[in-house]
Amino acid sequence: MSEPSPIVLVVDDEIQIRRFLRTGFELNGFVVHEAGTGAEAIRSATLRPIDLVIVDLGLPDMDGADVVERIRSWSSVPIIVLSVRSSEAEKVHLLELGADDYVVKPFGMAELLARVRVALRRQMRAVSGEPTVKAGPLTIDLAARAVLLNDKRLTLTPKEYRLLQVLAQHAGNVVTHQHLLKEVWGSIHVHDTHYLRIFVRKLRQKIEPHPDSPKILVTELGVGYRLVQSGNEVDAPAWPDAAPAKSET
Amino acid sequence: MHDTLKFDPIRKELRGVLMTLGLVAAITAVLFALVWEVGLAHGSVVYLIPVVIAATRWGIVPAVVAAICGVLASAFFFYPPLYSFRIKDPQEVIDLILFIFVAVAVSQLATRLKRQLEMARQREIDLRDLYAFSRRLAVAFDVSDIHAAIEDHLASVMQRNVVLFPSAREASNSSGRRAGVVVPEQVLAEVVEVASGHRDNTAGATVTAPSGEIWLVRAVSPKNREFGVIAINLGRESKERSDELRVRVDAVLADATATLERLGVAHAISEARMRSQTDQLREALIGSVSHELRTPLASILGAATVLSAAPALRNEKKLTALVHDVRDEAERLNNDIQNLLDATRISSDGVKPHAEWADPTDIINSAVERCRHRLVDRRLVIDLPADLPLIHVDPVLVQQALIQIFDNAVKYSVSGSRISVDAHTHEGHLIISVVDQGAGLTNAEKSKIWDRFARGERHAATTSGSGLGLWIANAFIAANAGKVTAVSEGPGLGTTVAIELPVTQTAVPQLESDTDE
Repeated sequence: MSEPSPIVLVVDDEIQIRRFLRTGFELNGFVVHEAGTGAEAIRSATLRPIDLVIVDLGLPDMDGADVVERIRSWSSVPIIVLSVRSSEAEKVHLLELGADDYVVKPFGMAELLARVRVALRRQMRAVSGEPTVKAGPLTIDLAARAVLLNDKRLTLTPKEYRLLQVLAQHAGNVVTHQHLLKEVWGSIHVHDTHYLRIFVRKLRQKIEPHPDSPKILVTELGVGYRLVQSGNEVDAPAWPDAAPAKSET
Repeated sequence: MHDTLKFDPIRKELRGVLMTLGLVAAITAVLFALVWEVGLAHGSVVYLIPVVIAATRWGIVPAVVAAICGVLASAFFFYPPLYSFRIKDPQEVIDLILFIFVAVAVSQLATRLKRQLEMARQREIDLRDLYAFSRRLAVAFDVSDIHAAIEDHLASVMQRNVVLFPSAREASNSSGRRAGVVVPEQVLAEVVEVASGHRDNTAGATVTAPSGEIWLVRAVSPKNREFGVIAINLGRESKERSDELRVRVDAVLADATATLERLGVAHAISEARMRSQTDQLREALIGSVSHELRTPLASILGAATVLSAAPALRNEKKLTALVHDVRDEAERLNNDIQNLLDATRISSDGVKPHAEWADPTDIINSAVERCRHRLVDRRLVIDLPADLPLIHVDPVLVQQALIQIFDNAVKYSVSGSRISVDAHTHEGHLIISVVDQGAGLTNAEKSKIWDRFARGERHAATTSGSGLGLWIANAFIAANAGKVTAVSEGPGLGTTVAIELPVTQTAVPQLESDTDE
């Protein structure tokens, strides 16, 4: 492996969680730094070069959201938040503060690793300025404003393209309803979720091999949408060794 | 009432006088015509008409003006010499003096009558308010009901925006918007001061908001802190006017607190508070217990997934199986804890759905996704038409209900059997059904499956579970104005569980035609 190992900062007050994350990451070739408090995390993030931050929301000294906001104020390092279930509003809030993604506790290591790889790749693409985004059979050329499905050019309406463009710019990550509505229809429509539903449906008819069980443009219920890149990563089962579902769809 | 309170009294008087003058002029014109045409002698008595009208309508001052003008007009127009205020006949002078006397007496009587009528009407309104108030207090269930009743009562008596803060904590946590009224920050700060007892505040303090409105802040009762602190928007008023209003507030509050004390409201409040504290304690206990249980579970589950993928275990089949057991059981425990938390949430403060326009296909797909590893060895058949209508629901609640139903289908069916999911619309409803080939339901079970902690007796020994699943599913769907039904041909013949949600077709907002141009 010629590339240097990515460095991940794990922020959680539970030592057991930090321990399994460290082991899981190290087995997958990451270098791990740990922080038990928000203050420590912020200090650590300023002192050392870091490729990715994992933040638990329940920290003893400050709210995880504050940590996200503070780090985001000077750095574009990818941040993944560990949250508990049943608070979609909180997830949306965190994404708006600048978190790249969230994983709901309890989670499997494979699920977290998949999210981490997506975030790292997006960061790399942002740095290199790579203009094409691939998602399964779909290729979006942001520079040429062209969308190809299995190398065949698709005809999209301006709004459909804009929607896909915003998702492609954040490929792999969740984009909130509010963000999409604002980018595509303008600030006055941020609560008109039905616009999104209708256009996502139209778009799926064009880009998904099976529009009724989408694998490229997937829904994050109550939060937003995600453009899943090259199929097998985020889409992987939460438990890495589970046999694939025998779905007849 | 709001208007009359604000209305300037001098302008009102002036308007009455002007109306009176108009009335006198009109009567004079009519009389003049009658005298000319019919040869009527003179008509000073007729001038009693404007006097009575003015007295009943506009009060004593316009009435006296009417009397004087009536006398002057009679003298000028009708008593010889005409068109002069002099009167020749002493008999006629006595007539006029008599008239003035009668007119003043009549106007006195009429205004008094009017005032009594107004008082009677006001008393009736007060009584009605008070009656409505005591009725609301009688049916009040908890402290917040009682406070809302006090708040509404004061608002209706004062005809002003009234906000009641039960305690300093409520005020400092309040975003400044309560009961549809925006309370300025300065007022909130004052409320906190008064409510926390930092200030000896019997008469109340006034705060001028940036908008220029004057707010009065005072404890509802100087004796009893349980009743809370009120903030009343007095509006933009002059100093004298607002002093006047403050006197009225004092009177109303004295009345209200007397009623509250008579009705034993203080006692009711403290009792209700105790009840809610017990509830809160229970909720807090369940909340913290489940948090305490879940935190280690996250570590157990995470560690198990790291272990199961570890290179050292790759060729150790038996050890890998053990690790998988740890992982699966931890996950099951996590689901049970989640169910307990959900059940607590449902029974304590009800489910509050965050409705948005959602695509049913998304909800079903994400529920399937979340259950995928549980559905692994079932044949899953999903049949969703492409043109399902959008529904206005809380998608996460519907998804969680579906997950419960899937769980149930898996739990009571054998490996390799089919579970099918389909959706269609029927008479204005979206129906999502989950059909399994499992244990089915006996008639006795059918009537019980929606109960909390319902467990089928046939399965109690063989299948684990808390019996909360379908109860939670039902509560989540009910919160979205839908219902869940279960149908079975009988034991061993499978079960169909259907979620029914309203489709408000007409209410689906239409896209503006130019959204994709």
